Amino acid sequence: MLAFRAYSWFLVRRLGLTLLTLWGLASLVFLMVKLMPGDEAQMAAGADASAAQIEAVRERLGLDAPVILQYFGFLGRLVRGDLGTSIVTLQPVLNDLEKVLPSTLELVFFAMLINLAVAIPTGIVAANRQGGIFDTVCRVTAVMLGGMPAFWLALVLQYLLGSVWRIVPISGQSSFGMAAPTVTGATAVDAIIALNGPAFLDALHHLILPAAVLAALFATQVFRTLRASLLGVLRSDFITAIRAKGASSRRMLVRHALPNSLNPVLTLSGTQAGAMIGSAVLVETVFARQGIGAYMFNAVAQKDSFAVLGSVMFIGTVVCLVNLAVDILQLLVDPRIRAAQLGSQTQ
Amino acid sequence: MTAPAIAAPAARPGLRLSPFEIFVVALVAFLLAIALFGPLVAPDSVYRSDIANSLMPPSFDHWFGTDDQGRDVFWRLIVGAQTTLLSAFLVVTLYSLIGVTIATVAAAGPRWLDETLMRITDIGLALPGMIVALGFAAAMGPSLQSAVIAMAITGWPITARMLRGIMRQTMEAQFVAGAQVLGVSKWRLMTKHVLPNSLDVLIVKWAGDVGTTVLVLASLSFIGVGAQPPSAEWGATIASARGFVSTAWWTVVAPGAAVAITSIAFGLLGDIIQVRRDPSLRGN
Amino acid sequence: MQIVHPMPAMPEPTPKYAPLVTTSGLTVDMPLGRDGNSVRIVDNIDFSIGVGERVALVGESGSGKSLTARALMRLDRLARLSGRIDFDGQDLLKLSEREMTRYRGSAIAMVFQDPMSFLDPLMTIGDQVAETLRIRGVGKAEARKRALAVLDELGVDRAAERLDAYPHEFSGGMRQRVVLAMALVGEPRLLIADEPTTALDVRVQDQVLDLLDDVSARRGLAVLFITHDLGVVAGFAERVMVMYSGRIVEDGEVEQVFAHPRHPYTRGLIKAVPRIDQDLHKLYAIPGAPPPPLARPSGCPFHPRCSESFDRCVSELPAVLNVGGERVACHLHDPLRV
Repeated sequence: MLAFRAYSWFLVRRLGLTLLTLWGLASLVFLMVKLMPGDEAQMAAGADASAAQIEAVRERLGLDAPVILQYFGFLGRLVRGDLGTSIVTLQPVLNDLEKVLPSTLELVFFAMLINLAVAIPTGIVAANRQGGIFDTVCRVTAVMLGGMPAFWLALVLQYLLGSVWRIVPISGQSSFGMAAPTVTGATAVDAIIALNGPAFLDALHHLILPAAVLAALFATQVFRTLRASLLGVLRSDFITAIRAKGASSRRMLVRHALPNSLNPVLTLSGTQAGAMIGSAVLVETVFARQGIGAYMFNAVAQKDSFAVLGSVMFIGTVVCLVNLAVDILQLLVDPRIRAAQLGSQTQ
Repeated sequence: MTAPAIAAPAARPGLRLSPFEIFVVALVAFLLAIALFGPLVAPDSVYRSDIANSLMPPSFDHWFGTDDQGRDVFWRLIVGAQTTLLSAFLVVTLYSLIGVTIATVAAAGPRWLDETLMRITDIGLALPGMIVALGFAAAMGPSLQSAVIAMAITGWPITARMLRGIMRQTMEAQFVAGAQVLGVSKWRLMTKHVLPNSLDVLIVKWAGDVGTTVLVLASLSFIGVGAQPPSAEWGATIASARGFVSTAWWTVVAPGAAVAITSIAFGLLGDIIQVRRDPSLRGN
Repeated sequence: MQIVHPMPAMPEPTPKYAPLVTTSGLTVDMPLGRDGNSVRIVDNIDFSIGVGERVALVGESGSGKSLTARALMRLDRLARLSGRIDFDGQDLLKLSEREMTRYRGSAIAMVFQDPMSFLDPLMTIGDQVAETLRIRGVGKAEARKRALAVLDELGVDRAAERLDAYPHEFSGGMRQRVVLAMALVGEPRLLIADEPTTALDVRVQDQVLDLLDDVSARRGLAVLFITHDLGVVAGFAERVMVMYSGRIVEDGEVEQVFAHPRHPYTRGLIKAVPRIDQDLHKLYAIPGAPPPPLARPSGCPFHPRCSESFDRCVSELPAVLNVGGERVACHLHDPLRV
């Protein structure tokens, strides 16, 4: 219906913005590298490197050159995928991160599922019975949950549900000996690949609490947004027209009110996907799961500076790409956004 | 995240406060009092170790028990309040100032400057704030100061964007055009009209932001790039108590609850101010 | 078609039409705040609309005309209705909500002022028009066919291609036709049009009115047309009812009312319409303003602004009287007046 030209123009613009953002991120990380106290070459070479080795590294990284050239060198290395080398694992940071990325994505995926599966129905019911008991309880809960530090909630629930009541495992991604052979690093996915039912269930068992904790904060946001949006739509004129057509309450709600209220929720969850990846740091460490967040945390604990900064770059990039994907998805879903972004034609 | 959370039960306009509002304001005032005067009234024992008494459960002597160094958890919380709250205030004030400055320059300056600054702000908005702050804090050497600076650097984009929008709107309002015709200088316009208009939005945001900043600050300390043990900052306290969650849950629950309560209280304060400013938001 | 047994103080149906809708003592109260107080917007009105008759309901904003129209379909959930609305023998106010939904869209339909805000932006117009039928269990293909037929009838060209278009792709006049189609596809017997032309420019206004005219004649559709524009009334309606502050003050055939308005308010309204053949220096407006519903004057609500009021008007609410084939609520026309 809409010109191919318009679509591609939008894509170009959006990609441009993403590239610009990534460039900004890279520049910030460069700044961080320069801010680090101590000799950069020494840190890169390692604690027990000889003077000669340190000089070699200094040359390789071009650390004697003026800052501007260093900057371009840095950008060049980034583009080639060189995020530095971990002092601890002695592996390129990128390799380390790639290995654990699927695990984080798996966690975020399930967290998003829980988020939407809980927040959307409660939001609908709360809006439909505005002012009722359910509504009030939900809103109070939302306020409470929204103010809690994620890591604290994780610790408390881990203790309660894991140690005391023993409903869920305390930590880790799989029980001893249960895991399917590692293909992606994401335990549930690996279990599916190996067609291993019990392993899959075990993986889910280990996922549920971390995913729920991660989802908590974001669910409160979705709940509030959906509720507000739905309330607004229910008050709007076209709902009256639908009723004038003789539609039942249920039909009006499901087929008309809801689709029109979902837009801000979609936008919100899109940005949440990126934020969740950032928050994964806290959740992964408390539950001793593998992931880019846990990697970063350990890097900080072990004062592995390059790993930390490499993680910052990596995580930041992942977040940007996720946001881009979401924007494109939104475009395909809502005809109004399509019209606004691409230009509509009146008939 | 500063959308009003709960509609205050019907409060009459004017200075009469509803019971709910009174409660929130009192809570915030209480927290502020602790932050300011806490360390003055705390007993000296808070700073000393007393291993013999470590990890004791809550009792009459120690309301929240003792931690792994034998220090009274309750008093440590009181002392830590100063660090946590004042750091949060500092961070929010800093980045609000940065945000206001950038917004003012963008709104008042030439078009190209506005565009450039807004592009930079967009980039800032697109990046995950906590991760970037983490990076800076780690790079500068983990410490409370690093965390504060890092958070100030990453916190301004939202404020800047919001304020610039409002300033632009105000500037395009009729009365400003009228004043310009009368020859009022742009500088005077900004200071006398545009800025005061933006001020109350800023205050609402400031209150809510303190709430979220306390959370982020605690998170950064927990990860290890903020306040370092033996600081009594709440996040650092939770970090050092982490290993004892199963044996001495109070060492973890107490500081976390403190963070939660503070964060919620300030968030609600922000909501209350917002609803009072613009009653149409009530019930939302 | 039943003949309703005439009740005291009920309007006498115009001879040419059998009554379709008759209200008796219809009152609409809207709730205020949370403590159960309410304000009376529509105060005890009686009127009748015949089969295929075209009636206009005129009044300033706040007179209660919109609420009256919506009350006929019980659209406002918050409104408290009392009295009786007799539609073809059934008292609508006695129906449960569920039963009422069966009347909406099929027996009585409504079109609104601003078509854009009354169309679901996320649904194709074909689906929206067909929805009125789908709600009643008509199959998808059949509903689509009938939707197409109605759109065609209303002059939407290339309707077949446009069925899958979205509302925002249409111009104002087209959207109004879509909204009309949505209302007509269910073959209602009464169409309520709430200021359908106010948001449109004059040219499009004419088109829509012609359309309504055409459709109503062809289908024998009764139309209740709500407006504040007397020009539109003159061009379209056979009968006009004038509302003021929640009451019907005059009700009669358009030509008669316009030529010899009996109520001072109606006179004022007509006088206020500028005419090309007048030599005016100043536009006339009825002095004063309509009273807010919470602060209605005693007696006749119009008396503070009426140049012909006398002491009875201040103390006593005028009853609706039959005067020369019209109904008027004014003490001036009381043959027994003191």
